[in-house]
Amino acid sequence: MKVNVRNEPYLIINIFFAGVILLIFAYSGFFSPEKDNYPVVCIHEKLTGEPCVSCGLSHSFSLIVRGRIAEAYQWNRYGMRVFLFFASQLILRVVFSIFYLRYPDTRKQLVTVDCIGSGIIFFVAFWPFIANIVSGFKF
Amino acid sequence: MEEVKNNTGQNLGIAALITAVITFVLAVIPCVGLIAIIPGIIAIVIATVGLSQSRRNNSPHGVLLAGLIIAIIASMISFSQIFVAGKIAQKANKWPNNIGNIINDVQDNVTKEIEDANVSIKVESNGNKVEINTNADKKDKEKTLEDLEGVATQKRDTIQKHDSIQKHVIVRKKK
Repeated sequence: MKVNVRNEPYLIINIFFAGVILLIFAYSGFFSPEKDNYPVVCIHEKLTGEPCVSCGLSHSFSLIVRGRIAEAYQWNRYGMRVFLFFASQLILRVVFSIFYLRYPDTRKQLVTVDCIGSGIIFFVAFWPFIANIVSGFKF
Repeated sequence: MEEVKNNTGQNLGIAALITAVITFVLAVIPCVGLIAIIPGIIAIVIATVGLSQSRRNNSPHGVLLAGLIIAIIASMISFSQIFVAGKIAQKANKWPNNIGNIINDVQDNVTKEIEDANVSIKVESNGNKVEINTNADKKDKEKTLEDLEGVATQKRDTIQKHDSIQKHVIVRKKK
């Protein structure tokens, strides 16, 4: 059965997200931690003068892409879990898209499982950052 | 009569949902959380336009609604980053809420700048003009003072020399 991707919003969203994740990996590979030429700067640090929990994330990603895991942990200890989130999402976009095309009868369940699963992975990966936002309102 | 399903707003719904999800991920990261409000507003606008179109044409609006809800939550998180940043900085005493501290900092900087400046004073009275040009280099002055103090503690004849220097200075001033 021939599928027109234009009529399948789920597939369009999957392709787009996969592209965005690939761009993130390309960014991490292109900019080097030695040259320190990252265009994205921490606005939080610029405003407050204090480093935030996500500072050093670009360095960490670049080092993970280059296989220097120990150094990546030194730059940002949450870098690995965020990187794994993006990596898992890239794999999930491909896998879910294949399942979506192969099993048309289970599409609704597949989308539901994807939404819930991705949401859980997101909260687990980004929990330190979410906790930081919550803690900001506490004191 | 068969109900005609219209897909008006479907593309807008996809665009809104993608923008909203990206905004959500950005909003949670403190480094770029503040700027996530821009795509957040864009996503809200796209979703609202799409919703109004789909309601008019009676087309499905599930994706649009999802996009709108995620965009609103993401924008709220992004906006909350301002307060979080403010409170964290306040805790570290670095948020510039005390204008007095800023003025003191500026004052200190200006004083530091003046320490190394060249000063020229002109006095004019009853046709007489006196012009004093001096280098306010603090380090030079301190060195001169140290030299003078060192000299003063040595011998009596050097003090006389010092007196003669002072006299010379007075004479030059009078001229």
